[in-house]
Amino acid sequence: MPESAWGWLIVTYLFLAGAGAGAFVSAVACDLLAPDWSKTLARAGSLAAGPLVAVGTACLVLDLEAGLWQPWRQFYLVSNLSSMITWGVIILSLFIPVAFLYAAALNELTVVGRYARKYLRHLEVVGGFLAVATAGYTGVLIAVVNGVPFWNTPAMPVLFMASAMSTGLAVAMIGAAIIDITTIRTMSSFALGHVIFLSVEGLVLMLLIFLSLTRSVEAAASATMLISGSLSPYFWALVVIVGIVVPYVLSIVEYYEYGKMHKALVVGADLCVLVGGMSLRALIVFSGVAPHIV
Amino acid sequence: MPHYGIAIDTTKCIGCHSCRVACQNQQGLKYDQSFNWIKEREQGRFPAFGKEFVPVQCNHCQDAPCQSVCPTGAIYTSPEGIVLVHRERCVGCKYCIEACPYKVRIVDHHEGIVVKCWLCHDLVAKGGEPACVTTCPTQVRIFGDLDDPNSRVSQFIAKHRAQPLRPDLNTRPRIYYKRS
Amino acid sequence: MKTNGITRRNFLIGSAAGGAALLSASYLGFNSWAARDKAAEQLSVTPTLCDGCGNWCAIKVSTRGDRIWKAEGHPLSGNNLGRMCAKGHALLHEVYNKDRIKSPLKRVGQNRFEQISWEQAYKEIGEKVGAIKAKHGPESLFMLQYPEGNAALLMRFIHALGSPNAFSHGTTCFLPRNVGWWLTVGASKPEHDFANSRFILFIGRNPAAGLHLRQLRDITLGRDAGAHLVVVDPRYSEIAGVAQEWVRIRPGTDLALMLALAHVMIKENIYQKDFVEKYTEGFDEFAKKVEDYTPAWAEEKTSVPRETIVRLARQMAEAAPSAIVHSGYHGAMGTQYKNSLQLVRAVGCVSGLLGNFNQRGGPYLAPKPKLGKLDKETHPTPPAVSATMADGSGDPERYPLVPAGVGIAQAIPELAIQGKLKAGFVYHNNPLRSNPNPARVIEGYRKLDLLVCFDYVMSETAAIADYVLPESHYLERDDVVHTSSSYSSKQVSLRQQVVKPLYDTKPMVQILIEMAPHLGIGDFFNFTMDRWNEAALKPLGVTLNQLRKEGVIDVGGEWKPGEPKFQTPSGKLEFVSSTLQDIALPAVPEWEEPLVMPARNDPHSFRLIHGKQAHQTHARTVNQRYLKEITMMNDWGRVWIHPDRAKALGIKDGDCMTLSSSIGKGRARARVTDGIHPDCVFMPSGYGVFSRHLHTAFGYGISYNDFLPTYFDPVLGHNMSSEIIVRIEKT
Repeated sequence: MPESAWGWLIVTYLFLAGAGAGAFVSAVACDLLAPDWSKTLARAGSLAAGPLVAVGTACLVLDLEAGLWQPWRQFYLVSNLSSMITWGVIILSLFIPVAFLYAAALNELTVVGRYARKYLRHLEVVGGFLAVATAGYTGVLIAVVNGVPFWNTPAMPVLFMASAMSTGLAVAMIGAAIIDITTIRTMSSFALGHVIFLSVEGLVLMLLIFLSLTRSVEAAASATMLISGSLSPYFWALVVIVGIVVPYVLSIVEYYEYGKMHKALVVGADLCVLVGGMSLRALIVFSGVAPHIV
Repeated sequence: MPHYGIAIDTTKCIGCHSCRVACQNQQGLKYDQSFNWIKEREQGRFPAFGKEFVPVQCNHCQDAPCQSVCPTGAIYTSPEGIVLVHRERCVGCKYCIEACPYKVRIVDHHEGIVVKCWLCHDLVAKGGEPACVTTCPTQVRIFGDLDDPNSRVSQFIAKHRAQPLRPDLNTRPRIYYKRS
Repeated sequence: MKTNGITRRNFLIGSAAGGAALLSASYLGFNSWAARDKAAEQLSVTPTLCDGCGNWCAIKVSTRGDRIWKAEGHPLSGNNLGRMCAKGHALLHEVYNKDRIKSPLKRVGQNRFEQISWEQAYKEIGEKVGAIKAKHGPESLFMLQYPEGNAALLMRFIHALGSPNAFSHGTTCFLPRNVGWWLTVGASKPEHDFANSRFILFIGRNPAAGLHLRQLRDITLGRDAGAHLVVVDPRYSEIAGVAQEWVRIRPGTDLALMLALAHVMIKENIYQKDFVEKYTEGFDEFAKKVEDYTPAWAEEKTSVPRETIVRLARQMAEAAPSAIVHSGYHGAMGTQYKNSLQLVRAVGCVSGLLGNFNQRGGPYLAPKPKLGKLDKETHPTPPAVSATMADGSGDPERYPLVPAGVGIAQAIPELAIQGKLKAGFVYHNNPLRSNPNPARVIEGYRKLDLLVCFDYVMSETAAIADYVLPESHYLERDDVVHTSSSYSSKQVSLRQQVVKPLYDTKPMVQILIEMAPHLGIGDFFNFTMDRWNEAALKPLGVTLNQLRKEGVIDVGGEWKPGEPKFQTPSGKLEFVSSTLQDIALPAVPEWEEPLVMPARNDPHSFRLIHGKQAHQTHARTVNQRYLKEITMMNDWGRVWIHPDRAKALGIKDGDCMTLSSSIGKGRARARVTDGIHPDCVFMPSGYGVFSRHLHTAFGYGISYNDFLPTYFDPVLGHNMSSEIIVRIEKT
């Protein structure tokens, strides 16, 4: 019997949509809170958001079958408002253009960007709202699935939201380093963001695992698979150590050593967050166990 | 309008898989595609050892999780209570496969859509019974109108207090099981 | 060629009917799909007979255009009553299996064949057979078949050639069952009125995997009506799941249990005295013989608690005469043990004590229509062959109880090595895979000067043959009239063509008729299959056209309970067999040890037992993809082993084990289950195909024949296929 139908494309989609949405939120936060010294970060975040979500969405579309070969079928995707995918399609089709428009506006690219610049604040409010919706939706998408008890918990959207924010911030910081490596010293303030998001992510993940162990036999089977079963090496190495502990420690050091940490370590911490974020999505999806029906 | 359902007597199932292959032929499925599975479950230690074969197919839930998560509205319930897939609307997102607690939906990669047991709607519409019901050597399945208290299936369910699989999932299936 | 037997457009999930609710949205492309469906749907239904096992259930095959689509059971057919099993459904696809042989083949090298014409094949075979006959005499020829509808024609063929050597698979399947019942009640295959039984005992028989659909229906009907079902088996078989009670017995000791049941019934005076008095012979001797076989003694032998034995005897006696012991098949009452014949005799005698013969809920002789024969004036029958079979079957000095026409199949390789057999015709049989000790079988068959194989795929045997003549697939050909659909009434049925042959293949009967003149026996085959069938049907008042249309015709003669009649020498049920007495064999059933026993103190030593799975018919169906998928999906190729024994060897569920016997070695994964006696391991039969031409089956699993030495039971010459000791180690 088909235990799971989703594979790497959906994992990638969940990751990229989260990271893109997070990058957008980072950009907006920088632009609103510290427009003077975090300009590069805001630019990087805004430039990354649209393409990441768009590529993620492309993964989602590539995972379709008949809907891919006969694209007109995709018009049906907004038919059922009780389906999270319908909501996702609506949110994404609004968010992607807003994200591109925002990138254009913030960076004053093309005529459109210069015109949109006038409505920057509007774009930030609407886009920020849609970005949070996108990040949260990726979690809700799997949280409403009662065919996989492990996913079926309100902790899932919180976990995905926290992960989306930290991976988004990491994307923005790496982007900023690419645009202008000298800004890396100014970024230490943002390490605090990582500390906060990773704390939330770690706590929620811990809660999810512990609660799953008692929630139902199937959820427990999934949790066990992660902490001591077949997926445990990946879980401990990639999600816990690389994805949370290492960047968490580095970010604390970075924050207190303000501007003195080696730039490779700064970027390294962000890369760790990205690896952890992708691994988290993959392991959550692949550890799904169907209800024991007989 | 009748509401169709099936009662399954697992105490008669010998695990011969006739239902599976009859269904594959009826529906034109390939050898590795199926709408029917038989789960084998062993229990206890000798002399209290026992084994049970549990045939599993689409449960035609009254609160079908697949139907509520389908973004394109391709999954719907017929007036007779049969959960159907509209093959022209399905995009193949596979969300329904994840949502189905019974894991009885498969991807038909040939057409790129998700398919499953449709209770041989074509045969039933002509007054027949599904292929899995008619082929079974030990007559494990009883098909009929759940709304009619005098139908064989209703009587069987009432007599043996047959239960659906995992009633706690609140999907309200139309397939009932007599176990042990 | 399309690989899938069935067009895929047809299961319009939610087409017109249910789609109404959604019509508000536009359907792009919908109409064109619907149109395509209509075009493909030129449905027709042809009644014919299945070929999934030896039951030959009557089925109705639907075709769509010129392609086979599906089938369902023929509702009238007495032995399947409209039902069909997985094998029957799946085998429909075999018409389109790319492994099929597409034309006559001639060996031109070690593993090389060339396509030849039928004419050339007949001509060359005729010349070679003629030369061998001239040099070594007609007794050096043999024919081996799986005896079915066409069996009589194959017998006619080999007898016409002047050879007595007509073999079937009997000594690797059912022979003790047939002989034992024949000795006891005068008929070899009693049927069962399970539906009306109140107590049903299965001893080493599993009709839920050695599938018999009518029996299964009747068994479940009986159970639902209150019958108590008891399964005596070393493993928890499929029928045990339906029964109320599983009696886990040490393999090879079923005889001890039956003797003890008889002991209790006689000692407690709860047998059917009237019946015994009126209809049986030799009760006193039997009673005296079983005096020693106490439940305590049997517990020692069988590992079944004595209380259980006493209780079962009382329950049976209470339900008598509506109590029945299954008459057996290939299991413990078949060719599996040295004591199998005695077991069948003991079951027959217990049936005598139950007084159940021809009673409601008891065993009875299935009514079979008597078919007519060709007119001997115009179609002469071959003269009787005076020589006895090369293996000694029917020879009063050697195997007097083995019927000619059955023979001892696993003796063929030995006889070939000894130079007594020189040329053979093998039809619907695959001795290289279904006979014990394949290395020896291959050596023997290779020694033959000429081997002609009739098959529709390159089986192991076909792959070493000199000529392979492809028979049309069972859905492409006509066969001779059959009576196998009879169960509780007389029925005739017909296998007939459903689709035209895809390749240059022919029905077996036609091959014989066409080949006969080249072998100088054309006079005995101067008829057509239709003529043969018309003659067969004539006494029944049924025409061939009627039968073609209906598939199955019931000619009446419904079985009714009543006075039992026995075709034994005494005309009674024989506790003491006069036939056995005449040939100085134990005339009253008595305990006989199995040939081998696993070493008690060796944790590695096991008896290897085997049996069918419900979705496979030994090697006959394992090359079918739909069925293979069932095996794979459920991981059913594993060998069963008891948890305690497995633990002692460090074997966990799914681990790989190495099995070795005196003749062979192999590997299989373990299925650790409490559903098996600790003394043995169970291997599903049919796997272990080694013909590279069978692409689906090749290389999967192992066969018990790889571990079974070539045995000949001293009385019946059967292969004693569960007398195997294997040593098991974790790989």
